[in-house]
Parts: sequence; C-alpha cells; structure tokens
Amino acid sequence: MMMRCQALLGTFVEISTDQDDSQALDNAFAVVKQIQGLMCFHYPLSELSQINRWVHQVALKIHPWTTQVLRIAQEIHKQSDGLFNCGIGHRLVSAGLLPRHMNLSKYQLGGIEDIHFLDSEIISSPKPLCLDLGGIAKGFAVDKAVESLIADGIESGCVNAGGDLRVFGQSPRSIQIRNPIAPMELIDIGSLQNGAIATSGLYFTNRDQQSYIINPFAQDECEAHINFSGSYSILANECVYADALTKVLALSSMRDHPCLNHFSAQAIRIAI
Amino acid sequence: MNWKPNPLSILGLAMVSTPIIAQAKIYVSVEQAQKILFPNKQLTKVPLLITDDLQERMRAASSIRYPFQGERIWKAADGSWLIIDEVVGKHEMITYALGIAPNGSILGIEILEYVESYGYEVAEAHWRQQFTGKTVKDPIKLNQDIQNIGGATLSCKHLTDGVKRVLVLHDFALKEK
Repeated sequence: MMMRCQALLGTFVEISTDQDDSQALDNAFAVVKQIQGLMCFHYPLSELSQINRWVHQVALKIHPWTTQVLRIAQEIHKQSDGLFNCGIGHRLVSAGLLPRHMNLSKYQLGGIEDIHFLDSEIISSPKPLCLDLGGIAKGFAVDKAVESLIADGIESGCVNAGGDLRVFGQSPRSIQIRNPIAPMELIDIGSLQNGAIATSGLYFTNRDQQSYIINPFAQDECEAHINFSGSYSILANECVYADALTKVLALSSMRDHPCLNHFSAQAIRIAI
Repeated sequence: MNWKPNPLSILGLAMVSTPIIAQAKIYVSVEQAQKILFPNKQLTKVPLLITDDLQERMRAASSIRYPFQGERIWKAADGSWLIIDEVVGKHEMITYALGIAPNGSILGIEILEYVESYGYEVAEAHWRQQFTGKTVKDPIKLNQDIQNIGGATLSCKHLTDGVKRVLVLHDFALKEK
C-alpha cells in the first residue's frame, strides 16, 4: 500500500496504489505534470496559451494529448447542444479568476466549435479564441495517470485530483463526497469499481469571488456567472467525461439530460 | 464502471453526513521525501536561525503570518536544497518538502502530511503535535481507513504561499551558502 501527494493542477493530486512501486508513482505524477505544462491557462508558455495567442492566425501542430482533449471537448459540446464550451476563458479573465495574458476586448471570440482539425494534430480557427481547459483537463490528467499506472503493472489504485477521482482494479472502493453545506463533513455515496466521479460545487469559492461556472450562451458579463448552492456530481467510466459533464449538469440542472445518457454517466445532485 | 450506491443515497436528502474527524493523511516520511526529490544524493542538515528581518521578508512575500521554523533544512553537495515547511489553513495543515536546484528553480514539491479537521483543532499546537514525526508505519490510527474524498476542487493556494516564502528564504539566506 502506497500513497503519495503532490501539488499539481492548482490542487492536490493524490495517488494511492495497492502495490509499492515508487517508480510507477513517479511516472504517473510526471504525466500529470506534463499535462499541466501543456494545458495550463496560467503559464504564458503552455501549449494552451500558444493556441489562444496564435490559432486564428496560423495553423498549429499540437501535442496528441491536447488534440485528444480538444476532440473530447468538441464531442461533449455537440452532445450537450453547446452547454459545455471551453471558449469561455475571457469570462474568467474579466472576473479575475484567470490571469490576463493579452487584451481580448476588441475581438469577437469564437468557441470550441471553431477549432478545425486540418490533420490529426494540426489545428486552426477562423476566429480568435480564449479557451480554458479548466473544466476538463483535470479529469483527463486523472485518466492519463491511471493509464500510466496500469502500463507500469499496477493492478489497483486511485488517483484523486482535488476531488475528481478515478478508481481502477478489482477491489471496489468506498467513495465519500463532501457535504456542500458543511464541506468538512462527508456523505457516503457507496462503492465504486473501475469508474470515476467528479463534482462541481461552489463551497470552496471565496465570498468575494464570482462563480467559475460559466453559461456559454450569456450575452454579457453579469449573466455569465452561474451561482448555485448544493453540488453536482457525475459518475462515468472515465474521469475526463465525469469532469466535463458536471458542467452540463450544473448548467442544465437536469439529472436526465440526454447528454449524460449518451456518455453512460450517472448524476448525483445534493440539494440544499 | 460498477457503482453500488449507498441505499440511503437513492433517497436523496436522507443521506447521512458524517464529520471528517482528524482526517490525517501521512503520505511520506522525511527520509522518503528526500529520496523522492534527491534520489542518490547525500544531504547534510543545515539548521538556520531565522533573523527577524528575514522572517519579515518571508511574511511580506507570502502573507503567511506565523514564523518559519529553520530546523528542517538540508543541503546537497551540488548546491541544491531541501526545505520542509508547514502551511496552516482555516481547516487544514499541510507539511511539505520543497526541492530547490542550485540555480534557484523548483525541483519538486512533495506533500508529507495533510491533516484536515476543524479549524480550532488544527490551530492547537498540542493537537498537531500528535502527528509530528509519525510515519506511515506507525501503529496509531492513521491511514487505517483511507477515505476517497470527492468534491469541489480543493485549492492549493495556501501551499503556493508557503512555497513563495521558502523561495525568499533561498534567495536571501541559502543561495550564497
């Protein structure tokens, strides 16, 4: 039994495995770190920042992992009728939730649907974009870390990126989620085997901060930030879908949204 | 995916919520952290007396008010450093190790302990003391029932502040040593 934790992706990434294999855990953390370097909005030199700066001017060759995330983001965008859209970075920048790398106010920005794949790993966009992968990359990183552990021969374990987690292997694990009314209390939601769960909730948001859940259809800033009490969790086979679909659930408030069914996901809403 | 819901959770609001009581996770010991951050390197302990001036500089850079303890500092022959520090938040206490390369860049951050509980308990020195120096192998009730806790993303901002102050320490007191 081995359990380690590092600060990555703006949160605490915890990896626990039934076998003791330090090298396998090192490799899994390295994968998460690499995804952070590719997809972090905060680093001006990340691949994501380069995409936001250049994609409407030149075709860009991007990393296969970034390609994968963008394709999944487009798929969920399509299946959710536009409710999930990563092209909302500018809203988070205006609210001070993300850093301002450039002035975008004079542009008409596009969304994730404007990314065109010219080749399997070459993208372009007719419109300037301000993509933020904060609503999907954490789940993707959890999946990649799990893949890395499995490739290194780890039979069962759990990767938890600050609340978005995936368990793998034969042994089912009991899962608790935080009570949105009192986050220091836990609610036992049952046991999970070979699956992922992610949650959206605003209980860790500072009182003076705007909500980070953005309605992509909002016409102006004041309508963009969606506030809610309680929390929305999604269970899915892979964490990337669980992570992204919590936004569809939070924005639609529909536990039976067809998009969830399409991705074989299940919803848990904890109302206050 | 195989999810066996807690029978109560199907009833929605009837779910039982239980407090996290002294949720202490001890991930790695000091020795393990040294091996993770500096594999195959010999480290020498270099405790440092922190002057008021330096404490103040570290406070200004990080807005962390409680003083830095200078006992847990190690140096490698090539000029890299390993520093262990603690950050205390409203509900949690985190002990972490920071590896710094000779050029001042961060080699890695490894969390040693994460203790989550009620704020007043964390603030009590004697309450914290019970975890100090414990390792994964200690027979007290740590890590016995590993909780897989899901929920809204927990920010690591406190830790980022801690790292800021340790980098100030490196800049003013360790770099030239």
